[in-house]
Amino acid sequence: MALPVPLLADVLLRPDVWRGDSLARESGEGAPSGFPELDAELPGGGWPRGALTELLCAQQGIGELSLLRPALASASQEGWLGFVSPPYALHAPAWASAGIALDRLWLVRAEAARDAAWSSEQMIASGALSVVLAWLPKADAYSLRRLQLAAEGQRTLVFVFRPLACAGTASPAPLRLKLEAGADARLAVQLLKRRGPPCTRVLSLPVLRPVAVPRLPAQTNPVPRARSPRLARST
Amino acid sequence: MLWLALHFPRLAVETHLPQAPCVVVDKDRVHALDVVAEAAGIVPGMRLSAALGLAPTLSVLARDPERERMALHALACWSGNFTPHVSVLAPAALLLEISGCLRLFGGLSSLHARIQEGCARLGWSLQAAMAPTPLAAYWLALAGETVRVSDKEELPRALARLPVEVLGPDANAMRRLASFGVRHVGDLLGLPRDGLAHRFGPQLPLALARALGEMPDPQPWFVFPERFAQRIELMAPVASTQALLFVAKRLVGALAGWLAARVAGVGACELVLEHADDIPATHVVLGMAGVTRHADRIERVLRERLERLQLAAPVEYVGLRAEAPEALPGATDSLFGEVAVDALAPLIERLRARLGEDRVGGLAVVADHRPECATALQALGRKTTGGLGQGARPLCLLGKPVSLPEIDGRPCRDGPLQLLAGPERIESGWWDSGEEQGKARGDVRRDYFVALTRRGEWLWIFRDQGGWFWQGVFA
Repeated sequence: MALPVPLLADVLLRPDVWRGDSLARESGEGAPSGFPELDAELPGGGWPRGALTELLCAQQGIGELSLLRPALASASQEGWLGFVSPPYALHAPAWASAGIALDRLWLVRAEAARDAAWSSEQMIASGALSVVLAWLPKADAYSLRRLQLAAEGQRTLVFVFRPLACAGTASPAPLRLKLEAGADARLAVQLLKRRGPPCTRVLSLPVLRPVAVPRLPAQTNPVPRARSPRLARST
Repeated sequence: MLWLALHFPRLAVETHLPQAPCVVVDKDRVHALDVVAEAAGIVPGMRLSAALGLAPTLSVLARDPERERMALHALACWSGNFTPHVSVLAPAALLLEISGCLRLFGGLSSLHARIQEGCARLGWSLQAAMAPTPLAAYWLALAGETVRVSDKEELPRALARLPVEVLGPDANAMRRLASFGVRHVGDLLGLPRDGLAHRFGPQLPLALARALGEMPDPQPWFVFPERFAQRIELMAPVASTQALLFVAKRLVGALAGWLAARVAGVGACELVLEHADDIPATHVVLGMAGVTRHADRIERVLRERLERLQLAAPVEYVGLRAEAPEALPGATDSLFGEVAVDALAPLIERLRARLGEDRVGGLAVVADHRPECATALQALGRKTTGGLGQGARPLCLLGKPVSLPEIDGRPCRDGPLQLLAGPERIESGWWDSGEEQGKARGDVRRDYFVALTRRGEWLWIFRDQGGWFWQGVFA
């Protein structure tokens, strides 16, 4: 008895099958990242819902959280954000002025790596949070696979920060980004892995910086000497 | 009125949580036995020596009426989950008046299934029967007939098959009835009542009249105690927390039933583990995020806490206490399906139980110019106002500022730093005496700058009289 043969067009509608020259069609719409150049390169036109996004950074402070700021701000209007084991303490006034509702923010500080991975899995699997950001420097591919399985079928955005040294190892996350400091105070984003053809070019994204960078070269920047106190004026 | 009688035939054995096979012995005769002993051929009333001959590996326990009474009391509390009208029939039966709650549980079958499942989970074997009068339901359950009699007219037929032993343990009367040839209740119902009254006293025909519904039979209701404090004695001192979980589940079930009967919930309850000799008892406080009466939520928190507990000594008694129940009416579902904080409460409890109470929380802004004091941890989901309008602030702060070396008058971190903005003078905290421990940071007089390292990292550094320090990261 012959099995029914699926049509090629139906097979191509699945989110995990795509032609070699086009991006995968995501089952839902992605969350807009706030950077049109990046949205154009992401399958689904934004951050994928219900799947892991791995962010590999060489250094801290190059703008990795500013990259996510537009998506986090819009998510905090309707849902809950969860932060698992951030490496530094979060400075509440800065987050409030970045547009994120502080009463929707959960901070979970887990000491052991296993506890951090477990907490992330519980928060993703409950489906109650809109965004989960987890810093898991010691997680291996097995833990990430569990997180990916927990995320499937949910509408949660999941971001996992790992050190750059993990870029060479295999990972079950369907989207992997490498973040580096770029020229002109921009953030250089390279898509190491996505559901689609490999992205060859490096994106240079204008993330929000605290100040505009002057065009003068570094050597001529004078160091102000210690002066008598005057009234503080923020720049 | 509809009555559901629950008879626990093996209460005496199961209250001890023993190893199988096991018998409970009363004055050298077997009083109660468990399933494995019954399969070996032992019957109640047998001599202990005969029982040991049939099953040499038998464990033998002495009968403890006080323990059985407390177990029945705990079961009465547990049945508060289903109805607040409970009556206790010593030594091993409960009567539940269920006409009011049948619709809530979706009919008799589902209520019966839930009761069976609950008892099985807590390790009690059960015989249940339903009838319009309490005494008839009790007799049917005693005889092991799982029947539902909904009409009074059907009662004579339903009771006809029961053996006369269900009427009571009066051996004399039973022997006399046997000598009449009366073996079943049906035969007894056929005899004239005044003749029975003349020969056996008024009790027997009165009992028959009450069972058939000809006379009213008011039952004294079980009074749910004001404070919940129950404890179970373990058969042998237990050193591992896993074995305590099963015993604690029974206590949690009784607590949930007690709360349901009182339409209340608890925010915290206390598990007390008593040890032998004079070692002070271990108190474990189980805190919930919000007031609840769900048994599985309390059990989950209990399981997480027991897994992390280190026992100082083997445990002999396990007790559960709940002091102040708060009124908790039934919850209404939200119309648009929003996920409120209450719906997230089980998740928060699970995280807190594993990581610690203070590890899960929200952030609040404190109106303080000093950056390290401007953030406070607080309970989740609470709106705060406040905060001071300020300049550029970093998203992340270091726990303690890190000192930066100064080369040629410039601060350095992996190379000289490029200062892009500043100085912003922050001077505050003159009222603090400045102890290092605690929240007080002392008088702060700093010039803040935004700096860029050679590798492209954005840092927030300051200079004060101690030199250059790095405090924040513009992530």
